[in-house]
Amino acid sequence: MRRDASSLEALLANPRIWRGSSTERPASGLSSGYAKLDRHLPGGGWPLHALTEIFTEQYGVGELQLLMPALARLGAEDPAAAFGEPAWIAWVAPPFEPYPPALLEWGLNLSRLLIVRPKDDGDILWSAEQALASGTCAAVLLWPPDLSDQDSRRLQLAAEKGESWAVAFRPDTARHASSAAALRIAMRADEAGTHLDIFKSRGGRPVTLHDIFAG
Amino acid sequence: MSRARRFPALVRGTAPVPPAARPEPGPDAQALLPLAEPAPRTRAATRARELWFCACLPCLPLEALCTASAAFAVVEEQQGMHRIVFANAAALAAGVAPGMSSNAALALLPELTLEVRRRSHEQQALEHLAGWLEQFSSRVSLAADDVLLFEIAGSLRLFGGLKSLRRQVTTGLRQLGFTAALAIAPTPLAATWLARAGHRVCVRSPDNLAAALRDLPLACLDWPAGVVEALTGIGVTRVGACLRLPREGFARRFGAGRLLELDRALGRLPDPRPGWRAPESFRADVELLEEQSDRELLLAVCNELLERLERFLLSRQLGTQRLDFSFYHLKAAATCVSLGCAQSGRAAARWADLLRLRFERVAFSEPVIAVRLEAHDTRPLETGTARLGFGTRRPQASGASMTQLAERLGARVGRNAVLGVTTVPDHRPQHAWGVRSLLSPGADAASAVVRHGARRPLWMLPEPTRLHAEAGRPLHLGPLQLIDGPERLETGWWDDDGIARDYYTAVNPRGMRLWVFRDRRPCAGWYLHGFFG
Repeated sequence: MRRDASSLEALLANPRIWRGSSTERPASGLSSGYAKLDRHLPGGGWPLHALTEIFTEQYGVGELQLLMPALARLGAEDPAAAFGEPAWIAWVAPPFEPYPPALLEWGLNLSRLLIVRPKDDGDILWSAEQALASGTCAAVLLWPPDLSDQDSRRLQLAAEKGESWAVAFRPDTARHASSAAALRIAMRADEAGTHLDIFKSRGGRPVTLHDIFAG
Repeated sequence: MSRARRFPALVRGTAPVPPAARPEPGPDAQALLPLAEPAPRTRAATRARELWFCACLPCLPLEALCTASAAFAVVEEQQGMHRIVFANAAALAAGVAPGMSSNAALALLPELTLEVRRRSHEQQALEHLAGWLEQFSSRVSLAADDVLLFEIAGSLRLFGGLKSLRRQVTTGLRQLGFTAALAIAPTPLAATWLARAGHRVCVRSPDNLAAALRDLPLACLDWPAGVVEALTGIGVTRVGACLRLPREGFARRFGAGRLLELDRALGRLPDPRPGWRAPESFRADVELLEEQSDRELLLAVCNELLERLERFLLSRQLGTQRLDFSFYHLKAAATCVSLGCAQSGRAAARWADLLRLRFERVAFSEPVIAVRLEAHDTRPLETGTARLGFGTRRPQASGASMTQLAERLGARVGRNAVLGVTTVPDHRPQHAWGVRSLLSPGADAASAVVRHGARRPLWMLPEPTRLHAEAGRPLHLGPLQLIDGPERLETGWWDDDGIARDYYTAVNPRGMRLWVFRDRRPCAGWYLHGFFG
């Protein structure tokens, strides 16, 4: 009997064993600005200092709209950080032009926006990693052509190091590949509205949300 | 004594002419001669305490060309024959002596490397050293072909006293690869003579000058050979004996210029020196001994150049925003690599970091034989004020580190690929925004924007794309449903990019929200201009 208990403990000590009950509550997240989403995210918002992946079938289904309130908050002159500078937001290899008048409408701080357009696919990850690890950017959005498990781990580590929020936008076909991201969301839109499928959430539970922007 | 009397002497003193060519004083200076004792006014010259540090570089012709320890000698053509003028320790040990013909020297030591003396290299090395010395003093002067002078009375406190300063100069010169004879004296001439004589002394008080100079041989004075010969002929071989001669007779026989020099050396007359200022643009070359294509080695060479640049900039309180490296090949045109930096800086480590990133992208077609570094655009260094760190959540998030990030990214992906954005007050959607460079100072995001009631899409296409239409309804991955609009924009007639469009918000069956317009000009059609994202 004693032997069984000790072998069970030895088994549980294995770092590859993940126990749902023992998950520490993650640090409070950054409110997404959408109450329905915040309720289902661990920490009540976007997991900061980690990698988030958003999967879409095509661009223009609301994937930017999903982030805008949070990005606006990051770029604002934060009264809590009275002596701090407003943080930068980096866009690495966006597929189209982020349109400044619209960004301004959403309340983003244009003077704190950095757009990097590497010609080389290999430089996209490198640039994102640099921006994440520099500790200067509060958030780094990137559109990688491809992201291997190893790449996602690198981004995750860089995000932790620089205390920055990494958001990778990926095609829906890549959602079944494994990844080290803390949060993975598939996004889909139809006439009924925009639907989110949170299929991996560190410290939270998978859930599908319908009509996210409605209220 | 009137001002008019003093002034000519000062003017003569500032002219950096070698003693031999110095104009003999006119009748004006004759009045100085009978003064056996220093006149009261001349004491004023020594009142403001000066202390001159002299570095005499006897091996400069050697060291300007080579710093290796292998046998090496410098030859110069004398009467149609190449003769050794300087040889390094290894060559001297093998029996090579100055004055020997180059053939004789090679017969003695076949592996001896010979190089023709290049005075331009010596001058460059001397200026390089003068630039280096400027960190110790604001008054550096090139006194002769191989003599550097700098005033240190004002720097003693900063550098922790005379001993510490002397140690820093000595070790610094040794690290730079120069052999120097050093001496310190209250007057520049005395310091020069003492250094040339190889007396490693430090005379601090002008009162001790006469005693310190007494035993110097006349050869140290760099006087014309005729004068020295004539003096030796009357049994005067040392400075002390010279000083005992009657002034009037001395001036008549050997020239008033000599007397003037003695008076200046002893501090009885002022001896103003022209200050040396380095050119504000920097250029330095490194010639490699053989062709190299090893990148690590080339990087090390560049780092050495960058450190030189840092010292150069440091002594002038300057920074630079742009560096140009040229890599020379034997059989091809030079490869140029320019580095840009948003914030003027001088730290070699920072430039080296950028260079390393750029180096990954540079393709050398040929091995490299020489490297040149140039920095023309130097400017006074801007210093920022650090903020107090109360309550900062992200203490590193300052403008400075952002520019560093932008520089790092720009160095690898190209400066044009790192951008900021700004809005432009224009109703035309394609003109309502612009890019701004994050790497040039002063460009700030303008917040001027035309306010309009309608929403704008987050994604814009670089150019509108034509949409196919079916029964008057545009298509994009299915028929579009117009849910908002039209917003009529008809403007820009004053330039060639006028528009006449009706903009709509549309949804397609896949749930994409699009920004489309119908061109109202004769060749009407539907276009996609953006996504609401």
